[in-house]
Amino acid sequence: MEWARLLGLGALCLLLLGGTVNANEQPGKSSRVPKPVIESARGAQCVEPADAMRRNHMEYLKHQRDDTLRGGIRGAKYSLKACIECHASQTTQSVTAAPTNFCISCHSFTAVKVDCFECHATQPAKSGAAFLPLQHPGGAHAVLSRQLRQFKVQGSDKP
Amino acid sequence: MKIDLRQLKGSGPAYYLLLAGLLLVTGMGLGAAWHMEHSGHIVTGMDNQIVWGLPHVFAVFLVVAASGALNIASMSSVFGKTAFKPLAPLSGLLAIALLIGGLVVLMLDLGRADRLIVAMTHYNFKSIFAWNVILYSGFVGLVLAYLWTMMERRMNVYSGYAGLAAFIWRLLLTTGTGSIFGFLIGRQAFGSALLGPMFIVFSLSYGLAVFLLVLLAISLGSARPLEPGMQARLSRLLAIFVAASAYFVLIYHLTNLYFAKQHGLERFILLDGGIYTYLFWLGQIVLGGLLPLLLLLHPRTRGHSSMVLLASVLVIVGGLAQMYVTIIGSQAFPLDIFPGYSISSSFGDGVVAAYTAKLPEWLLGLGGCGLVGVIVLLAIRNLAFVPQRLDRFPTEPTGTEAAH
Amino acid sequence: MKPDSTSSCGCGKNACSDERPDEPSQVRRSLLGVAAAGLAGVLLAPGVRLIEIAQAATPGVATTGANPKVRWGMLIDSTKCTPGCNACVVGCQTENGLTSQPGPTDTQYIRKIEIKEIKTGRTASLPMMCQHCADPPCVDVCPTGASFKRADGIVLVDKHTCIGCRYCMMACPYKARSFVHEPITNQKPDVPRGVGTVESCTMCVHRVDRGEQPACVVACAAAGYNAIVFGNLNDPDSEIAKRVAQFNTRQIRADLNLDPGVRYQGL
Repeated sequence: MEWARLLGLGALCLLLLGGTVNANEQPGKSSRVPKPVIESARGAQCVEPADAMRRNHMEYLKHQRDDTLRGGIRGAKYSLKACIECHASQTTQSVTAAPTNFCISCHSFTAVKVDCFECHATQPAKSGAAFLPLQHPGGAHAVLSRQLRQFKVQGSDKP
Repeated sequence: MKIDLRQLKGSGPAYYLLLAGLLLVTGMGLGAAWHMEHSGHIVTGMDNQIVWGLPHVFAVFLVVAASGALNIASMSSVFGKTAFKPLAPLSGLLAIALLIGGLVVLMLDLGRADRLIVAMTHYNFKSIFAWNVILYSGFVGLVLAYLWTMMERRMNVYSGYAGLAAFIWRLLLTTGTGSIFGFLIGRQAFGSALLGPMFIVFSLSYGLAVFLLVLLAISLGSARPLEPGMQARLSRLLAIFVAASAYFVLIYHLTNLYFAKQHGLERFILLDGGIYTYLFWLGQIVLGGLLPLLLLLHPRTRGHSSMVLLASVLVIVGGLAQMYVTIIGSQAFPLDIFPGYSISSSFGDGVVAAYTAKLPEWLLGLGGCGLVGVIVLLAIRNLAFVPQRLDRFPTEPTGTEAAH
Repeated sequence: MKPDSTSSCGCGKNACSDERPDEPSQVRRSLLGVAAAGLAGVLLAPGVRLIEIAQAATPGVATTGANPKVRWGMLIDSTKCTPGCNACVVGCQTENGLTSQPGPTDTQYIRKIEIKEIKTGRTASLPMMCQHCADPPCVDVCPTGASFKRADGIVLVDKHTCIGCRYCMMACPYKARSFVHEPITNQKPDVPRGVGTVESCTMCVHRVDRGEQPACVVACAAAGYNAIVFGNLNDPDSEIAKRVAQFNTRQIRADLNLDPGVRYQGL
């Protein structure tokens, strides 16, 4: 029954091929899975270029966490707290609350569980308690206008 | 004498019913573990005072019994008791099954069971727990290799070496398990060098009890009667191990009674600890010690397989009671942070902690036992673990301890 | 503002870009930054302290980390503690985001213990927290090394590596550790805590690294008792070192030879 086996193998190949073609996101072709909608961040500029961050943010964070926790080194470049300061959503003040919020949007698209927020806060510290924006690289304009924006948002009783 | 091991074949629904039941129990255990992982340990009866609960009782019992279950095989390979050779593969199988069952319960009770890879890649070698991770998984591999030397004809020449390696590993493993408690200075019930050796003797007793239970179950279930001489020999062995366990328990408590600072603990376990006192005297001493000794040695009961079976079950019950008192009783008894003072706080200082196991813990613990049964049933059906005849065993070379 | 084609997030929108293309030089930027920071600090953040502005003067530069020459410790004068007071506990709960009125499964980093000598009837009150031992049993028994002692003597749990086996909780002679029994939300950004891991008093390491005092110390001082002194035991000029050299202080369960960093007076 050699021909039956060959036929089955061929059908399997076609199925897989069809599957991969569908999964490929070509411009103009409608894809089954929508691309993530990522809310933009508040700050001026990220500590690394976007494509480097996209690929390596987990490595940066993983290496820094031991320096911070075991070494006691504070304020280094890849601070998770600082990430959240900028990337927290304007509406939910969080990086994981709504599907478009920064961290969760990509992570749910790629189906990678974000273990970080089992423990880490998803929202920046309330103003007054930790004046962290000062430690974040950025121009004077960026810092000041960011502070004014936050002050404005808190002042107007927006939900 | 040619030893003929075969798969356990047969007709009848009993096997499948038992397997289905055990699969159900195992499944419920896995479901309970998922629930605990998902909702956190809040769904169990454990809290910040009793941090190791019923799952640990089952898990440590299974692991300790696993080491002892290999004893039959060790006796045949290492100590030259050729009469036990036909039973050696079954002994090895049981050791593996028990260890896997215990290990699964232990791992699923972790707060972050998803971090098992972390546990297997980050080692603090000062911790006996870290050594146990290696010892437990290594034991499974080693016994598998040992089984291979016993069941693969061309490898039979190496079974002695494999048996010796497994025997030494067994001693390390069980000492390591006892030392989990023995190395802790903080709690009054622990911090004793006696605990390692005590667990070794416990393992001999519990392991043989489980082995006898399985052997007699196979014997009764597949209508192949066990040779009375072998049954008598195994019964005597179990009686010796039970007596040795009782000796260690006696020494442990007697020594504690000599130290004034341990009087509070001894009073708690032996007199007014409520459930722990009942489990100690009734469970560990009477059901787990005196009654089995009576059944195994008394002329009226010692020859009957049903009595031997009952004695084995009682030893297992006594073992679980002992683990409950050792693991949970030691946590319930308050820490003596200020000797000579009575203390109270919002964190349960100075008072005996209350603990009631909730359903997920029972299901997880019993699920581990179910897994042991599933492994054993599947293995004896599909691989040649069981001797065709249980009424004949090889004689010893010197004839001084003949099987007949 | 025209869209910045080199915008870092690649969204093409100009929402995140506050900077004009012809931004002044780095030197002027940081000078302006300090000035703006000072102004913004005064206007917008009433809780900021001078030391934070000083550190912010060099943004993006990391600190040097825990100093092995330092040994952080606490001295608790139990004669200043009263049975009804739990200011230190409340301060800790607020700082670390812990539940107030904790139940049996809730975390307690610090607790007040009332003791009474059985033979004499003498009573005392004292707070107990992780004793930050020099030879911690919890560190010895942790299978993954998650429980560790920092170079400056603070004993911590690395929640990244903690598998939640609770062996350290069995090992601690002071019952200092708690296990997180249910999923947590709304953690304080400075105090990450999560379900399935073990935790204990961190001596407010996040505050200590900023040059501040632990919350319990501050709370006790605010309540007017000043029973807790925090400082560097290795520095002979520090308040705590002077006091332990002068007064009769002891470590709890000193017989265990664990050399805790927390000492008590009046017990």
